This record gives sequence, structure tokens and C-alpha cells, in this order.
Amino acid sequence: MNFHFTNPLCVATCWLAGLLLTTSNQAAHAQKSAISEKNVAFIEYPDFPEAHSTWGSIGYNAASNTVHIGVTNHRDNIGLFTYDPSQNAMKLNGFIRDMANLRSYQWQGKIHSKIVSAPDGSIYFTTDGGESREEYLMEHPQGYAGGFFMKWDSKTGLKNLGIGMQFESIKDIDIDPKTGMLYAITYPQAHFLVYNTEKNQLRDLGRLASSHVPRILFTDWWGNCYYVDWRQRLVKYEKDSDSLVFARESLPAFPGTPGSKIITGVTAFAKDEAKGVIYLITYGAKLIAFYPEKDGIGKVKDLGGVIETGHADAWGPYVPNLNIGKNGKLYYIIGGHDNYVVKDKTVLVEYDPASGKKTILQEYPITAVTEATGCDVRDKDGNIYFAARRNPKSEGDFTTPFMIKFNPEKEISK
Amino acid sequence: MRNLTNKIFLPALLLTCSGPLLAQYTFFTPKEAFAIEVSLPNSAEKRLPMYRNAITSLHVQGDLVLGGTTAKAGLSPYLFVASISKKSLLTTKDLQEVIPGQKGIATGFFKGTGNQLYAGTLAQVNNNQQPGHLLQINVGNEGTIEAKDLGVPVAGESIFTLLSNKQGTELFGISYPTGRFFTYNIATKKTQVFDEVAPKEKDLKDYHDFAVGPEVYLCKALIQDNAGIVYGSMAGNRMFAFDPAKKSFSFLENPLPAVWGREVLGQVEAWAKAPDGKLYGGNAGDGQLFVLDPTTKKIKNLGKPMMMPRLQALVFGRDGILYGLAGGALGYSHLFYYDEKGAGFVDLGNPEFTMVAPGIEQGIMWRGFQLSTLAASADGKYMVMGENEALSQLMIFPVGQ
Repeated sequence: MNFHFTNPLCVATCWLAGLLLTTSNQAAHAQKSAISEKNVAFIEYPDFPEAHSTWGSIGYNAASNTVHIGVTNHRDNIGLFTYDPSQNAMKLNGFIRDMANLRSYQWQGKIHSKIVSAPDGSIYFTTDGGESREEYLMEHPQGYAGGFFMKWDSKTGLKNLGIGMQFESIKDIDIDPKTGMLYAITYPQAHFLVYNTEKNQLRDLGRLASSHVPRILFTDWWGNCYYVDWRQRLVKYEKDSDSLVFARESLPAFPGTPGSKIITGVTAFAKDEAKGVIYLITYGAKLIAFYPEKDGIGKVKDLGGVIETGHADAWGPYVPNLNIGKNGKLYYIIGGHDNYVVKDKTVLVEYDPASGKKTILQEYPITAVTEATGCDVRDKDGNIYFAARRNPKSEGDFTTPFMIKFNPEKEISK
Repeated sequence: MRNLTNKIFLPALLLTCSGPLLAQYTFFTPKEAFAIEVSLPNSAEKRLPMYRNAITSLHVQGDLVLGGTTAKAGLSPYLFVASISKKSLLTTKDLQEVIPGQKGIATGFFKGTGNQLYAGTLAQVNNNQQPGHLLQINVGNEGTIEAKDLGVPVAGESIFTLLSNKQGTELFGISYPTGRFFTYNIATKKTQVFDEVAPKEKDLKDYHDFAVGPEVYLCKALIQDNAGIVYGSMAGNRMFAFDPAKKSFSFLENPLPAVWGREVLGQVEAWAKAPDGKLYGGNAGDGQLFVLDPTTKKIKNLGKPMMMPRLQALVFGRDGILYGLAGGALGYSHLFYYDEKGAGFVDLGNPEFTMVAPGIEQGIMWRGFQLSTLAASADGKYMVMGENEALSQLMIFPVGQ
């Protein structure tokens, strides 16, 4: 079933988004924002009343100019959605457990990975247990079989590509668009996997992290893949040498950054291939410009903190998302997991790499936007997307997911 | 001592942990426990390189920890020494410099006379197949490592298992892949090889039917009782006893503890001798702990600390408690202890200790998933665990009086 913006729910949603923007403008920081409610739309997921959340599970498909989102009840059911910007339509393609012919003992809690696309228009993602039972029950009847690699395209539907590691979730995936090679990282043991889907050849390159699994993999334009080790050093899977290359130095961090932040590494990325830079945000709230090189590790430039924190710890803010506009500016939403730089509010920030200026564009009550994910999700018209969720009563973990569509340069046509 | 342990140490151990044991996302984290970073690629610090650092042998000599590693295919392993007091890696030695073509040191280290230690090597499997060698190692007070090649005890074979006798004058071992038992006189360098415990043709057919290789069915650990008899496992879930004085074998009536239909998996992979002379063993097949009374030659199944197969290490601490590593891949290793007169089995789960090193001075938490080796310091104060990972570290915790 499609979800069109002409229906009443859509109108209510847009009205709510506008109201929030207006309200937040009044309470916003001193910087004047050029955007208005017309630059933003909150888009709901239809036909999944028990939907609870989205995680990193969003991605853009350039071949079809569509956005794909994995939405979960955070227990055992995951809906795969497609948003078509040209039609303003959000559609449920089906539920993973049905499309992948999963049995009850192969339950999956969520798609935690981003959704990556191949040049032929197919998309790839991985699945995750999502519940603590994944980590402890194992061979028990209620235990977790392991996370799967999956492929979907609009013509042939979903193809189950098999489990990564027995009992392990798969937290993130990326793809070499030239060869189709998939890269993945498992949870909780943080094993780096390289999967050749054509040959069904899965290789485990071993454990790379410490007690907490960094959630983000990213690739450069040559198809090399990056992760971080427990010292927050970049680790590159270099495709030409078929080997792991470790950076000598750690990524920048504020003095006093706790070890728990260091070991979690990078939380978000966005690429500007024309300028040869990949922007990174760390769990210790640093904004970083990384200039990859085909061979070896490239240079890194410290762009400072994600936001001015005043008397609060500079390493404190939590940013699990990053997008780049057609204007070359970065956009990210700070806050989540009970960590907010403005009390009980998430904030949308613009960073201009040319001037180095960081501006809070909007503030949202956490009852409206509790947290948002999404890395490098931008359509051909310059709309950027975040997978968000809200906790309307601000109690417990009773959230509902929705998607934020944002265009920093023009109004979004409804 | 046991009362002191039960009344003081174990409650203190529980209190010093970061949270309640057995709870989700809480870990075994005694207050004075720590991890030593021994593996890290591309570092200015002395570290072991990737894929050559799976810690498969450990020995503690005073303040020094001697480790032996196993490498991935085509790579050579290392010997290394770390300091407990300095919490750092002191010395590494590439085994390629001593014996080319080797893959791992997985036998453990065994004491000879003086400060000499002995180990056996597993050779790399390739077209230019080399045999495994006996290795004599001396660790100096400053952590220096001297390693000497003692040659090949069984022609064309690697060394899967090793043990030295109480006097430190003779070595006993199991060859790989045929599983022959051998003795090696350290003074005369004379080797004797015996076929009695090697799997027979029918055994090999069973193993083929169950798709298991020699890593699964060869005896992985030997032990000597106070009377000098050496014990190990063999095909058919059976146990043998070797009398070094008579050069003869006998076979125990009791089989290893087994789960019905899974006897083919029987393999002793760890032993520890209690102060009273009883021998505690770990069966890899289904992870059972058992005790062998050397006077009666009877085996008693003590049960399992967790659901998974494997019981990779057993060591008595100075508290008189038996510590061990149960489980492993495809799940995780769990640290456990067995208190015969108290709680019985207590599963401590994954340990998580603080690791501090140059560049991570604030400390990071290191969680042990694939722990495969465990050794106690001579005074029993410290337990040292080694990981079996692509990048493996040491994890050390103190044991109460």
C-alpha cells in the first residue's frame, strides 16, 4: 500500500512538523535560520502499526532515485519500505521474515545496518538480533541464529544471502560498487567480514574492536572499506592488496574523552567525492575531514566539535547521523539515547566547511524527534533524509518511527 | 584455607565486580584485574603483528608471562614475554628465526631442570611439509628469550601435546596428525615412539563419518600423577595410562563422560592436579569436567559449567579453587570456577578488564570472548588468560588467599 501526502494523516503530520519548527524557532539559539517548516517534512510508515524504531537502516538508491528504510517492532518483525520522492509515496514492500522465508528460530530483531545500493538498482542490508537474548541464549530454543546478508530489488524481490557468523548480529554493511563485494561488521565480537556474493565466499578477517562495537563502516570511491580499532584508529580493507591497513595515529579526540567513547569510534559519515573528502563524526563528538587515498591511509583534519557545548564536556554530544547537501554543507541532528545538548531537545545543525561555521537550524522536543540516524542519504533533487523516531509521552521506550525529509535550499513540494 | 576462601575471598570477589554476576551486560571485573595489550598492527610500541598472535601457550615465571602463539596459514608464530607488574609487553621473538616453517606453539610450556622450559611446535601445512620440533626456552630476568631447536621427535609429524615429568628430565608427547605417543629423554636426546594410543583404522572411519579431524580427536593434554603414571585420552572416548618406568600402557575401564551418541568427540584438552593428587580433566567433546582418582583409576563426571562444548583450560589458584575456561567458538569462552565443597560450578562469563597503554592512558575496557589459555603464577596470586583472536591480548586477575 502506498502512502500519499494527500491523505489526512499526511496533512496532520506536516502540520505537526510545521508547528514544531515554529515553536522551536522561537526558542532557538541566536543564529538566524534561513529554513522554515517548508523545508522539512515528517513522513510516516504505513501498514505497520506495531512499528517501534529505525536504526541505521536507511539508504539511497541512485538507480531508481528511491530511499529505502528498514522499520522494526524491535522484537521479531521488520518491514522493508521504499520512499519514492517523485511520487511522494512511502510503500511497504513486505516483511523480512516472509520475504526471506525465515523460520521462527531465525527471528530477526531489526536491520541495524545502513542500506546500500549497487549500480543495477538492487539494495543490500544485514539483520541484527536487537535484543539481549541474541547475546546470551545462543543455542537455547529462544536463542539467536545469527544475522543475515540480504539483497532486494523491486523486480525480483528479496534474496536471502545467508548468515554471516553463527549467533552474531551484523551491525553494518557497505559495498564496493565496482565489484559488488560486501563488507560487514558483527556484534558483539566485532568481526570484519568480506563477502563475495557471486562466489558465495565469506571470509572472516577477525576481531577488530574492544568491548563496544563501533557501528559504522564506510567506503571510499575506489571501493576500499574503513572501520576503526579500539584506539579509534582507522582500519582500511584495501581491496587491491586484499589486506587490512591500520592507521598509525588515532582519529582526533578531545582531551579527557573517556575510553568508552574512544572504543566506539565513528558514528556517522558523509562523502563529498568532488572535493575528495569524507566527513566523519566520532562518538567523542569530533567532526573530522578524512581525505582517503587509493593506497594507504589518507590525511585527517580536525574540524572541531560538533557543537559548542559551553561548560559541558566537549566530547559529550551524541550524533548518529550525517548528511551533506548539494551546497556542500553538512547537516546533522544531535541527540539521542538520553544524551541531549539542549535539555530534552534534539537540534538540527548546519556546518559550512568553507567558513567553519556551525549553526543550530532547529530544535525539536524529544517528544517530536527523539533520535535520528542516516548517513549520506540524498536524492537527485538535493533532499536529504534521516530515519527518526519519537517518544510522544517521553516515557520508557515507547517510540514510533518516521522519516525526516529535509531540503536546506528549497521548499519541499507536498 | 578452604573456609577462608569461602567466607572471605569469594564474597569479596563478588563485591569487587562491577555489578551482579550472571546479569546481562555486566561482566567479571575484579577491582585489580587488567589487560595487557600485546597485539596491535602498525604501532610505535612493541606489539605482536596481526594473525600471528593467538595465545595458545602460557607460563608464568615470577613477574614474567611467557606466551607462545599460533599463526594463520602461511605465517610464523611468536614467543613473547610480558611483565605483570609493568602491565606491558617486554620481548617478542619470531619463531621463524629459530625454526622455519612452523605455524604454532600450542602444547603449553613445561619445566625441565633449572629454568629450562619445553614446548612443541605445529608445522605449517603446505607443499613443502616440514615436521614439528621440540623447543627449549629460557626466559631471563629481564624478559630475554633464548630458544633452542631440539629437533624432530617423530619423523614427518608435528607435536600436538607435550608434558614433562616431575623431575624435569623426560618429555611425553602426542604427535600430529597420526596421534602417536612419544617419550624424549632430555639428557640423552633419545626418543621412543609408541603406536598403542594412535587411532586405528576403524576409529578413523568413525571420524570420517562424523567429519572431524585430528584437532578434534587427538589427546590435547597429558598429566602425570604423583606415582609417575601419565594419563591421556584416545579414540573411542577411552583413557590410557602410561608407566614410564615399564614403558607400558594400560587402559582405564571408565570411559570419558559423554553425551549419548557423541562419544566420538571425546578428547581431554585440559588437566589440573589437585593438592590431594586427584586429577581434574576437561573433555572438549561436551565440556564436561571430570575427576580421575589415580589410586582407583575411576573417573567421575562432575558435570558442565555451561551449555557449550569445550573445556580449554584448568588451573588451581592459591585459594584452592579450580578455575577454568569453558566453551569457545562458535559461542564465547566463559571463565568459571568449581568449588567442590561450596557452590559447585560458578560461571563468571566473559571477563572485562581495563587496558591501559601509551595512547590509551585513560583506559579502555577489554572484553574477552575467545579465551583459550589460562595459567597461574607460581605463587598462585595471579591468573593469566590468553586470547585466541586475530589480535589477541592478555587478561590478568588476582586470586585471593
